Amino acid sequence: MKSRWLPYALFAAWVVVLATTPLWGSNYIVRVAIMIAMFTGLTLSWNFIGGFAGYPSFSTAAFFGIGCYAGALAQRAGVPMVLAWIVATVVVGAIAAALGAIILKMRGHYFAIASIGIVEVARLIISSWGSLTGGGDGLNVPLMSGGPNAVARIFLLVMIVIMIMSFIVTVIVDRSRLGFGLRCIQQNEDAANMVGVNNRLYKVIAYTLSALFCGTIGAAHASWTGYIDPSDSFSILMSVKVPVMCLLGGPGTLLGPVIGTAAFMMLEEVFWANFLDYNRAILGAVIVILIFFLPGGLLALRYRDIARRFGLLREPKMAA
Amino acid sequence: MRSNVKFPGLFILAAGLAAGGLPVSAAKADIKIGAPLALTGPLADEAKKQELVWKMWLEKVNAAGGISVGGTKHKVQLVQYDYQSDGQRAAQLAEKLITDDKVDFLLAPFGSGHTKIVGTIATRYETPIIACAASSESVFDQTSGYLFGTLSPNIGLFGPMVKYFREKMPQLKKVAVLGRDDVFPKSTAQGISAAAKAAGLDVYYDQLYAVGTMDHSASLSAIKAGNPDWVYITGYTQDLILARKQMNDLGVKAPIITMLAGPAYKEYIEGLGNLANGVTSSTWWHQATSYSGVGVWPTTEAFYKEFVAKEKSDPDYIHASCAATVVVLQDAIERAGSLDKKKVRDAIAKTDITTFYGPIKFSANGMNAPRDLPIIQVQDKGIKVLAPADVKNSDMNMIK
Amino acid sequence: MVYVQTLVNGIVLGALYACLAVGFSLVWGVLNVINMLHGSVIIFGGYLTFFAWHSYGIHPLFALPVVAAFMFLIGYVTQLLMINRVIDQPVLTTLTLTFGLDLILYNFMTVYYTATPRRVTLDLGALDLFGIAVPVDRVFGMVLALALTGLLYLVLRRSRIGRAIVAVRMDSAAAALMGIKVDRIYAITFGIGALMAGATGAIFAMVYPVTTNLSGTYLGKAFVVCVIGGLGSVPGALAGGIVLGIVESFAGQFFGPQHALTVGFLLMLILLVVKPTGLTGIKGYE
Repeated sequence: MKSRWLPYALFAAWVVVLATTPLWGSNYIVRVAIMIAMFTGLTLSWNFIGGFAGYPSFSTAAFFGIGCYAGALAQRAGVPMVLAWIVATVVVGAIAAALGAIILKMRGHYFAIASIGIVEVARLIISSWGSLTGGGDGLNVPLMSGGPNAVARIFLLVMIVIMIMSFIVTVIVDRSRLGFGLRCIQQNEDAANMVGVNNRLYKVIAYTLSALFCGTIGAAHASWTGYIDPSDSFSILMSVKVPVMCLLGGPGTLLGPVIGTAAFMMLEEVFWANFLDYNRAILGAVIVILIFFLPGGLLALRYRDIARRFGLLREPKMAA
Repeated sequence: MRSNVKFPGLFILAAGLAAGGLPVSAAKADIKIGAPLALTGPLADEAKKQELVWKMWLEKVNAAGGISVGGTKHKVQLVQYDYQSDGQRAAQLAEKLITDDKVDFLLAPFGSGHTKIVGTIATRYETPIIACAASSESVFDQTSGYLFGTLSPNIGLFGPMVKYFREKMPQLKKVAVLGRDDVFPKSTAQGISAAAKAAGLDVYYDQLYAVGTMDHSASLSAIKAGNPDWVYITGYTQDLILARKQMNDLGVKAPIITMLAGPAYKEYIEGLGNLANGVTSSTWWHQATSYSGVGVWPTTEAFYKEFVAKEKSDPDYIHASCAATVVVLQDAIERAGSLDKKKVRDAIAKTDITTFYGPIKFSANGMNAPRDLPIIQVQDKGIKVLAPADVKNSDMNMIK
Repeated sequence: MVYVQTLVNGIVLGALYACLAVGFSLVWGVLNVINMLHGSVIIFGGYLTFFAWHSYGIHPLFALPVVAAFMFLIGYVTQLLMINRVIDQPVLTTLTLTFGLDLILYNFMTVYYTATPRRVTLDLGALDLFGIAVPVDRVFGMVLALALTGLLYLVLRRSRIGRAIVAVRMDSAAAALMGIKVDRIYAITFGIGALMAGATGAIFAMVYPVTTNLSGTYLGKAFVVCVIGGLGSVPGALAGGIVLGIVESFAGQFFGPQHALTVGFLLMLILLVVKPTGLTGIKGYE
């Protein structure tokens, strides 16, 4: 019984840790907490398509970037901030559903490439549509008034709320027929079809779910930064980082994306502060180690066994 | 099985958060200046230029005992982080510098976009920040009050250049403009095109190319077909090297070829060899100027000599402009007689000085006051100044 | 006349694209690995060529075989020691692994060589064919692309190793039963992929500035070319490169240079959806 509730308790505890950062940390720590909440939302989103359904999607940056622009344009047109985020969510969801219906016919490498292609195309369209988006000049987003502390707290709250919402949706999907169907698809797509799973529909739903909150997060991020431009909004690095975070934690699980994101981002912080010139290489090394020694993510480790054998075996575990 | 999994995980997280939050301790210093720098990634070269001159300045200032604040000398410390040419990370590190490292003042990173992002953060914290490599007015339109820039607005690049070329080549008529779709190169391409049209020239080709373009042959063939008198191309050094080379390959010829900001940098000339000869450009500063004024480098020559002795190569305008930011900051702190951010901000705003870099007086939007900027030309693989008349050291050569 | 020039521009550009993509495509076809390292290996080859020329005056065309051989060695070892360990895993794993390796290589290159754009300033000029300008260095690129793909095609069809590679591609389990050392074949294939990248780097050093800033651009082009030509097909990469070059060239002329890349990527996405086997329709090495 204990094991059933543990993930929720841990998640709640983590939310408390993040939410209380303004009480015990500097604004920089708060910013790190905001970024963690933000990336956790992105990773939880990716988990629907990448974790549950096992489709190697690299579209995260496209959805995030379109969310940035949809929200920013709405806000510039006079739509109130929160409403603009909702608009962005809906726009991104609709785009993802339409794209999903087209590209989810593909599998494996083909799908991976198409999902990367979407990021590039979205970036190029946004940057060449200068009359609407400002092109390479980027866009100003109305800045929120108030001192830095207030702004930091508000956006911390916003990102945490989005993170909680994506976690709740994950729980719902995990327990529903949808989650079951997606896992079937991940195991064996043809067999899933035979046992009555509507593959196409399920995959499109998973892909759309993987985009929705990315849109909200993008729009909120644009309001927070106050300025967006195509190259930072559509960064391939983000599209790759998010799956790596999920892999680090354990794809297809409830808590994997949360743990993976937190671990990854904190490692990054440490590297940045301590290795000025080689932080990218170290990040690369962490990825390599992860692939070789943690194939199922942190959650797949049998910690009790490791603890028991710790003195006897020197197994390369835990990058931290 | 899953149940026994989580606790160590949480420990790792907590430990990581603690480690991430530890302040990076360094030698105690009174005045802390923070600098997010793009030491890796696409902007690495430019960031290293900034770092170089700031360190030069730091050495000199601290050797002299530091900056004098209300009669006592305070040593200066530069706190820097690599933001990997990534805007989000730049914002994050700016906040870290302000809140964790408690820097008194900030220096902006390279380029208009990232200056804008960091400027927004600094403004929120009411921390004065001076930029040395942002010349597009759009950067300064939203962050009123705390963001200053030592480059004068792009506008000074256009009118004087059009006027000068028309003097040198009275039959000048057909102009082709090709710009990179990115903040600075785009605004300069649009600026020159507007200025040329205003002067009655025929801008028959006026296009932007996307970031990531690997080939300019389509644009250059179209430009060639129009038989241009003047070709004006903007972009990063790598784009401009490629464009100049392809012009040569495709036989695109014009008496005047201008590239921005390529020829101002020595890497451009080295990357092109003989092809660089004859290419004209604008710059915000050149060592041929001779200013004298306040700061650790009393004259242009002093700065130039010291730089060459140290680096064995000529400084470009980025070096000079960035060195000027810290000169301005030092001057403002000394005038304010205080380290109070508000007081120093006011002092910076009131700046009206001449430095080795030239006159510095900030307009209402925080940019250095507009002035006629030097027009330069690559001659025999070196940079010569053609205009303004008081600093010119060579005459213009037409290509062809 | 303008159109002929545009077409010629497109073809010679396309040849360079083909150079970029051939090695990438081979690795993809045989190993089923999306090799994110490819762009950086090209740049690495470019740096070696540049420094051979800059420091010792070695002409890039002479440096080319040495650089290519060296890259083969590096590729062989990388595959044997690293990628083979996860070769059976889903695409996400192998892609992520090569991405991690790419970050490492990229970082070391930017630290040691800096991102300053450098170029071999030989400037071979251009041929003038009835008023159409054809740059000489790009002709070299074209010859290289044709020679490499031709050679590779021959190797795959005629040599023992080549037949083994094709066998592994078709059915690695059956190939193993036939006594083929699959691991070694994988390593050789990855080595050939790196060799192609190294050779491309040497040619590109004469055409493009050498800078780590371009590694992502090269990789992106390799993607597009492979999809257009047919994933994993070597002749397809050649065809795909030339088609992309021509399309971009005309798109740049008609819609303006700002939209040339968008058109190329859109073409890729459309092809992925309607005809995933690419324009040539060739899958593998039939």
